Amino acid sequence: MHNYIAVVFDGTTKAYEGLHALWQLDDEGEITVHGTAVVHRNDWGQFQVDTKETHPALATAVGVGVGALLGALAGPAGAAVGAAGGAAIGAATGGVVGATTDLIRADNRDQAGFETRSVIGAGQSAVIADVSEDWTSAIDTRMRNLGGIVFRRAWSDVRADTWFDDSYLYPYEYIPSSYPLW
Amino acid sequence: MMDTKVKDALDHIRASTQELHKAISDAAAKRGGALKADLEVVPQKAKAITESIKGSIDTQNEAIKKDLKEAATYLEAVQKHAAEGLKRTGHAFQASIRQTLADARASAQKVSEAVAAKRSAESTKTRK
Repeated sequence: MHNYIAVVFDGTTKAYEGLHALWQLDDEGEITVHGTAVVHRNDWGQFQVDTKETHPALATAVGVGVGALLGALAGPAGAAVGAAGGAAIGAATGGVVGATTDLIRADNRDQAGFETRSVIGAGQSAVIADVSEDWTSAIDTRMRNLGGIVFRRAWSDVRADTWFDDSYLYPYEYIPSSYPLW
Repeated sequence: MMDTKVKDALDHIRASTQELHKAISDAAAKRGGALKADLEVVPQKAKAITESIKGSIDTQNEAIKKDLKEAATYLEAVQKHAAEGLKRTGHAFQASIRQTLADARASAQKVSEAVAAKRSAESTKTRK
């Protein structure tokens, strides 16, 4: 199965642990990770995506794609939602709406974006990933152990979105130097 | 669980495309001459990976071959756009960098999908 996932964590450090764990699962051959990014939402509801500092000419509005993906992962009701725990179902159906979001690609730690509803609550961080997995338990179990909640949708469903763009996903484990965890 | 210690040619090609994307995106964070200096080696790197793909494609199944052929096409585009970028300035240069990065991302994606197809096939075989 080729899926997009968002794994939501209560803190940035945990999100990077989750990112690392995903790539570890890839290294173990349990899943194949095609791309990842870490997104944060501050207490005022604004989003930021951790990216490399890019040439200004490259910092285009690819964030529209982030919003489209977050919206797709949030809903609509009945969408395939992978839960790492029972709480995920509540989180997926209770008050999260697949609202189209507009985000601006931000250099590392810069705030950007517009208010939106999403799978990510205020103060939370999430790992967004494009993955191939033969079964969902590998990711769900590993992320549950780290305290993450997994939202999942089929790659083919999300790609149908006109606004879709996943160019912000890094095809390898990218951790900004401000997070020297590993 | 798969044997995770054995990395085959496909894994190495994947690592190379990931490295290529990393090199281009790192270069893109620089300015002017430094960016161009880093970009100069990109066509050569992309060509080397394309050759590796062509050298290993015959041993793969049809689905994997298809992904690898597409990856090779993107890598050829990386060579083209990076080489064009070196001759350009201003907005045209920036457009070339953007396109080169997008092509590199697409090539890494396609090789990664080939790896996923291979892992899935081997996993199915193991379970039988």
